[in-house]
Amino acid sequence: MKPSVASLYQAVEIAQDIPPLLIGERSNTNGSKKFRDCLLAEDFDGCLRIGLDQEAKGAQILDLCSAYAGRDETADLTRLVKLYAESVKIPIMIDSTTPDCIEACLKLYPGRCIINSINLEDGGKTLDKVCRLAKKYGAAVVALTINVKGMAMTADEKVDTARQIYEQAVGKHGLRPQDILFDPLTFTIGAGDQSLLDAAIQTLDGIKRIKQELPGVFTVLGLSNISFGLPPASRKILNSVFLHEAVEQGLDAAIIDPGKILPLAQISEEDRTFCFDLIYNRDQGLEKSPLMRFIDHFAARVDVAEDDEAEVKRPEEALHVKIVRGDKDGIEDVLAVLLDRYPPLEIVNQILVPAMRHVGELFGKGELLLPFVLQSAEAMKKSVAWLEPHMQKVDQEEGTKILLATVQGDVHDIGKNLVDILLSNNGYKVFNIGIKVPAETIIAKARELKVDVIGLSGLLVKSAIVMQESLPQYREAGLTMPILLGGAALTSEFVATSCVPNYDAPVVYCSDAFAGLKALKDFEAGQLTATVAAPKGGQPRMKPGVKDVNIDRNHPAPEPPFYGLRHVTDIDPAKLFPYVNEQALFRGRWGYRRTASSSAEDYAELMQTTVSPLYDALKERALAEGLLQPKAAYGYFRCYSEGDTVFVETGDEVMAFEFPRQSSPPHLCITDYYRTREEGGDVAAFFVVTIGEQIAVETKKLFEADAYHDYLMLHGFSVEVTDALAEYWHEEMRRELGIAREKPSDMTGYVTQGYQGSRYGFGYPACPDLDAHKMLFKLLEPEAIGVTLTETMEMVPEVSTSAIIAHHPQAKYFAV
Amino acid sequence: MRYICANCGYTYDPDQGDPMNDIPPGTAFADLPDNWVCPLCYAGMDTFDPLD
Repeated sequence: MKPSVASLYQAVEIAQDIPPLLIGERSNTNGSKKFRDCLLAEDFDGCLRIGLDQEAKGAQILDLCSAYAGRDETADLTRLVKLYAESVKIPIMIDSTTPDCIEACLKLYPGRCIINSINLEDGGKTLDKVCRLAKKYGAAVVALTINVKGMAMTADEKVDTARQIYEQAVGKHGLRPQDILFDPLTFTIGAGDQSLLDAAIQTLDGIKRIKQELPGVFTVLGLSNISFGLPPASRKILNSVFLHEAVEQGLDAAIIDPGKILPLAQISEEDRTFCFDLIYNRDQGLEKSPLMRFIDHFAARVDVAEDDEAEVKRPEEALHVKIVRGDKDGIEDVLAVLLDRYPPLEIVNQILVPAMRHVGELFGKGELLLPFVLQSAEAMKKSVAWLEPHMQKVDQEEGTKILLATVQGDVHDIGKNLVDILLSNNGYKVFNIGIKVPAETIIAKARELKVDVIGLSGLLVKSAIVMQESLPQYREAGLTMPILLGGAALTSEFVATSCVPNYDAPVVYCSDAFAGLKALKDFEAGQLTATVAAPKGGQPRMKPGVKDVNIDRNHPAPEPPFYGLRHVTDIDPAKLFPYVNEQALFRGRWGYRRTASSSAEDYAELMQTTVSPLYDALKERALAEGLLQPKAAYGYFRCYSEGDTVFVETGDEVMAFEFPRQSSPPHLCITDYYRTREEGGDVAAFFVVTIGEQIAVETKKLFEADAYHDYLMLHGFSVEVTDALAEYWHEEMRRELGIAREKPSDMTGYVTQGYQGSRYGFGYPACPDLDAHKMLFKLLEPEAIGVTLTETMEMVPEVSTSAIIAHHPQAKYFAV
Repeated sequence: MRYICANCGYTYDPDQGDPMNDIPPGTAFADLPDNWVCPLCYAGMDTFDPLD
């Protein structure tokens, strides 16, 4: 008699005349939301209807799984087995890895069923138990090619693992070869994972070789994994083509949704070609990868028959989807199911890390925006934290280690922290040692922690210089690990020409956190190289700014309402919001950019549905909780210019503010906008403003609580509200000077300085040097409004800003 | 098509060009030189989003 399985009503041959044997996958708590909802509602008849529907669609066997965290698997599954045995004509497959539960079901089932599944993950203890049960009750078993080292990826590993299982099951427990269905595992070729480019080839090869080398056994595949990550309509086509190819190699059975498989004849030659190129990883000499060509080709396909269950996947897929979508809700439930099947480290390495990699790739392609990436990172963090108690500590010692620091004299940490978030949630070990870190400390820590890579960050113009000048120190200390540099003031040209030569190992410019991630991947692949200057052209960046060299020397100085300094502490925070540069906040600080693939309408919708509500909620919260405490220290002073210095008179003292002059035409310097003593002298205005440390404290709390998304939101908000305060206070001072005239009609008017005069921030392109803060603080005494200076002349709290204000109509932004 | 600087909100309008960088009116964003930067905040071209 041919190997068969049987229900009370009928026998089904495993080797079908026209393979494969179709095993319906939807009666599964982890594969079908509908099934799960029915089970959770104790609607067992509803569960049964799903099985009957699968039978009607052509299933020849039904996989039945009730594993769900928090429920009694044995109670549920035995109840379902009884129900299915009576009402469904076709045989069932008991999908459980718990020997006791399996035995309870086998005892009840009036026929020959299949057990799904066994493997060698724990070295064979569970396999021994389940094989004994299979022998005792005469069941067949599905065997996954997983061993103590994890899931078999290559055909060689798949065959080796199958052979080991075969030896145990047949040799030790006396099962017949025909009692075993080997599943050589399918991995997705739809997510762009570089390590899985040939995953389909390995699986197909595995099927062929298992059939050849272990005569008499059968093969089975959980098929739909192959296309995971792709849109539903194209998945159906790829699954169908891949199934056809697998059957060609000798596949006997497939666990699928029988309603979602198309006969090959219904798939056009052209569609098949794109599937073949992807399955067999054929580049066809084209620049675009097979995956990109596949996605482009099927981009417009819509599957009208798609039902509401399309969203729900096997737990492996469900976890991947949750990470990619940044959906933390219920992620523990999925993890609990997976933890029954895989060691925790394998869940991290085989599902979570590839999912985050996919997130990075989507960001790189402009398909995912930064705030959503951070939500994914939060889901990742939550998953790893949940798995951690189950992991052995040694796990932590593996992998690439990186040390991150904001360089000496710089208090900015958002950039460094974003790198921390991204890297640590991509499986790297990150040592984030904080801000204002001197080179000596970084060197000592790098040695002590034996890190593989150092990452230096800094926002200020001065930080770029600090990096450049400290690199020889790293060299002299004998360090040999690559150093990554990131920060707003850096360019690849600067790093290539001014930093790379100062250190022997690669120095690499990273334009954002994702570039840092890429650098680490390159490092692991042994391909990390120093940044090189652009090959051709390599022209220095333009230096925009006012071109006007004929500055009117006779422009009269306005009359200020007072001379000297004043402190204002009762500014209404609500007044600042109209001055917030929303474009800079939404796009720049928050990363809600308009991607290449989205239209102006899509973007407007994103603004309306996501960004504006977020912003409104933040404004409301900031006011309700008193997070904004705007204050100003400001003053007007008699002054005169002399060369590159503005002499500021305060009481008996004269302070000399020296400013840099452009080295190339039109050779501007801030002093050019102030009259000399001979010309009658002038008025200089200054301010230091802050929105108070409360919001900075709240921001820090969010980072420490791993609330990455909210951290980015609140940080960006605080930066832009600080700028809004500067804009608002500048306007107040123009009003006091009697030069306010008409207000700019909108934010663009402020951005383009559509008002009289200019405000030059200390540390910004027209006066990059922060040392002037020393005198400015003597002049304005902003300690009284809670602003102090670090030893490197940066203001604390970070949400503070300072400026010198020029009233001259020709004064506008320029860079030295 | 106009482009907006994600860092500072400056809008590049081809009809107006960019006098601060000596770019004449009528220059499409795509035709700006590679070393062009935002005239207000000096961010590079990849910081710009299409606006229309």
